[in-house]
This record gives sequence, structure tokens and C-alpha cells, in this order.
Amino acid sequence: MRLAMPSLWLALLFAMLGFPSGASAHRLDEYLQATLVSIEVGEVRLQINLTPGVAVAEQVLAVIDSDHNGVISVKDAAGYAETVKHDLIVRLDRRKVSLTLIASSFPEVSELRSGSGFIQLEFSVSTASMTAGSHRLSLKNRHLPAVSVYLFNAAQPRSGEIEITRQKRNENQSLGEIEFAVRR
Amino acid sequence: MHQKLFTAPALLLLAGCLRLTSFGQGNPTPAKPAAEITAAADKFLAALEPGQREKVVFDFKDEAQRGRWSNLPTTMVKRGGLRMGDLSKLQRDAVLVVLAAALSPQGYEKVLQIVDGDEMLKKGGGQTMFGRDQYYVSFLGQPSTTKPWTIQFGGHHLGLNITLVGDQGTLAPSHTGAQPALYELEGKAVRPLGRETDKAFALLASLDEAQRKQAILGFQMHDLVLGPGRDGQVIQPEGIKGSALSEKQREMLLDLAGEWTGIMHEAVAKAKMEQLRQHISETWFAWSGPTEKGSAAYFRIQGPTVIIEYAPQRLGGDPTKHIHTIYRDPTNEYGAKWQTP
Repeated sequence: MRLAMPSLWLALLFAMLGFPSGASAHRLDEYLQATLVSIEVGEVRLQINLTPGVAVAEQVLAVIDSDHNGVISVKDAAGYAETVKHDLIVRLDRRKVSLTLIASSFPEVSELRSGSGFIQLEFSVSTASMTAGSHRLSLKNRHLPAVSVYLFNAAQPRSGEIEITRQKRNENQSLGEIEFAVRR
Repeated sequence: MHQKLFTAPALLLLAGCLRLTSFGQGNPTPAKPAAEITAAADKFLAALEPGQREKVVFDFKDEAQRGRWSNLPTTMVKRGGLRMGDLSKLQRDAVLVVLAAALSPQGYEKVLQIVDGDEMLKKGGGQTMFGRDQYYVSFLGQPSTTKPWTIQFGGHHLGLNITLVGDQGTLAPSHTGAQPALYELEGKAVRPLGRETDKAFALLASLDEAQRKQAILGFQMHDLVLGPGRDGQVIQPEGIKGSALSEKQREMLLDLAGEWTGIMHEAVAKAKMEQLRQHISETWFAWSGPTEKGSAAYFRIQGPTVIIEYAPQRLGGDPTKHIHTIYRDPTNEYGAKWQTP
């Protein structure tokens, strides 16, 4: 899905919000999608914090609030999590793997509109059958690319059986790859 | 010229007076920070009305209050405790005496400069969400020279979590930031985060080509990875490892980290620096962005007992004028070492 941000609209928004010229407290015209990948024995977890800037919050809300009633219902939240899941392509050792949503939290609509709230989604990938040796996990994030900036990081494993050996990203971090070793 | 409630020189004088009190008694032993800080905190509490006192002291185990800090203005992310703008001048001064006792003179000055910068932001744009009135103070636990307690002081671009137990302490996790990161006050240029910025560029400039290839990340960093709200998380370190740096470069890295650890009073800062020195070979330095001095670039220092990030923010036009930083200690966030179950 592509979201446009006309510069005139942005300028008007600045004026309406009364931000001083060249000064703002927080993210404005970007949707920050920060993914932390935790690789542990038997499971990989992806925790994604999604923080819309105030200038793109309405556009993001329009995607979440499918019935346009100004409230993020349980159904809306589930639907949005499904949309994000669809926009993520995760591969383990080059094979596409499916994600299971295990947790989600949504702030109040007012917090999203003010740029102070963030959505948190946590997905799980079962790796129970993963053998000892070298492995590679990649994530391609295709969610709302026109307005998004990305962070992609591997968490430091808690288990000594997992060792992160290398991380790679493309320039904007919408694509990330983690090479790791399982030692048993 | 705008009226300053607390000037940096006044603050330093205040801090100096506190040190003088100890030295003036002819005691050859080092100053006793725990006693000074606790005395200052008790004096502040004594200056409060009963209703105010109930609002400023929280239980040491109050996790909700512990987490009430952010880079965002206090109108957007509510803080607990007492708002500086709601205090009398006597009470505000008493808060500053607490901070002066808990922090080093340069740390105290940095805090004042961050707050002054926010006041400039308010005056520049007429935004009531900014300004020195919008900072909050709170305590977790009662001030004590023996039991752990925390001083929280913060607002926009400032979130100090100072946990103390006796003469030990930690600043982790804390956020410093600046917008504007350069401004003029009383005819002088002020850069609240100027030293860390300059030292980081100096360290980068000292790296040879092979070292730079390791240190510089080949992707954009749009924000802090472990900023406010990311408690308990540790990422895989990247960049160049301390063991691949020369002795001089390792000293430069420690000196750079000292801009955060040195915010605390001397005894705590010294102990923390010793700890960082022990782990310097396992401490990483990473860089993202342009390398020309004065440009907007991200950097990170990460070792077993420290995580520091510095991230210029695109918002506001010039990213060199809007900076966020975070200081963490994965082994002792909020004084976890000293907390009993």
C-alpha cells in the first residue's frame, strides 16, 4: 500500500500544530518500524514497534481502523496485525516460514494522532527442528514503504547455544539478514 | 534576553558550595556524596507542602513510575512527581541542590543547558509544551544513605534515572538530548552535547582505513535502537571491537563514554569508568552516516556493562541541531544489582 504525503499538506499541518519553524519534538512524517529479532533455541521472535509520526498518523489509522469509526477495536487490531504479517517475508535458510502472532498492543487513538504512541506486534517462528550448525534468517519488510523508515537488529541471544555471527541490511534496513550458529 | 531561573554558573557555584561544605570542615577524607545528596533531598522534602510531598515520593518498587520517562515533552508522555513550574522558587532551588549534589559539575551544567535549550524552543515557537517549567522531579524510595533510592528528573529531551545506594550509584537508563543542539545564550554559544559530538568525530578521524571499514555500518540509522521504552533489551554489538583499537584509540573511546558516565558525581563516575576500562577490549564502537566533522551521524558504544547511542533526528530541518542519546547498563538498569526481590 502506498501513502502519499503532499508537501503542501505537510506545511499546513506544521502550521496547524503550531510547531516552531525548524523545531519539532518528535517524529513527524515518518512511520518508524523497528524490529528486534530474538533467536533462541527452538524459537525465533520478531518484536516490531511501529511508531507513526503525527503527519502520517491519520494515514496509518485509516489502514488500522477498517470500519472508520475512530476506535481501534479488537477486530481492527487483529486485522492490522494480519496486514503487517502479510507484508513481512521471513526466510530461514532460504525457505519462507510462517509467522504466528503471539502478542500485540495498540495505544489510544489520541496517542497515535499525537505521535506519542506506538503499536507493538510480536511474532513467533518455530525452529524446533533446526539442526546444529550455521543458519541464516532474513526479513523483508514491505509494510507501507512510502512513509516508513526501518530499524532491524538481532537481540543478543540469552542462550550460549546460539551465536550471532553476522548481520547485514540494505541501506534503509527494510531488508535484514542474520547469520547465526547453533551449537549443541 | 530571556530570564533564566537557574544559570549554569549559578549551578556550578551551588555545586561548588556543596563540595566546599565538606572540604571546609577540614576533613581530609573525600567528600561523602551519599550524605550530601540525602541531606539535599531531605531539605527539598522539608520545603514541600504536605500535599506535594505525597506526590513526589513513590515506592522504590513502583515499576509504573520507574518507567515514566521519555524523550517526548511531558504533555505527550505524562510524568509523575512534581512539575517544576508548580514549585516555588525556594522549592525549585532545592531540587537543583539535589541534582548538584548527585551530579558532577559538568553533568549538572549539561542538564541545565538541555533545559535552557528547551526554554529557547518555547520562546522561539510559543509552544507551552516546551520550557523549563515542564520538567518533573520524583523520588522512588525515601532518601537514604544506606538503602537504594532513585532520583528521577526529566522532561523533553531529558530523562535522568539516578539510582543510589550509599556512595554507589548508576545513571542507567537515562536519556539526554538537545534541540536546539546549538544556541546562543547571553552572547555565548551553547552546545549541550557538544563535547560528545566532538570526541566522537575525533575518535572516528583516528581510525585507519581498515578500522573504518569495521566501524562504519553500511546502512542508515534513523533513531535510537534502545531508546526510552526499550528496557531490558540488548542487541548484538556491531562495528569495531575495542581489541582492534590502539591504546590511544581505546582511551579516546573511554573518554567519549565518559561524557555519559561522567554526568554522575565523581565517586560513581570513577567507579563506572574503572568498570568500562576492565571491559574495553570487549567494547564496540559503531558509526552510521557521514564522516565529515560536524555532519549528522549516528554512533553507538556497546560493551558488557554499557550501551550508549547518539542519534541525530531529521525532524526540525537540520539533524545536527536535534540529537537524542541513550545511556544504559545491561547489568544494572535502575540499580537492579541492589534491588532485593
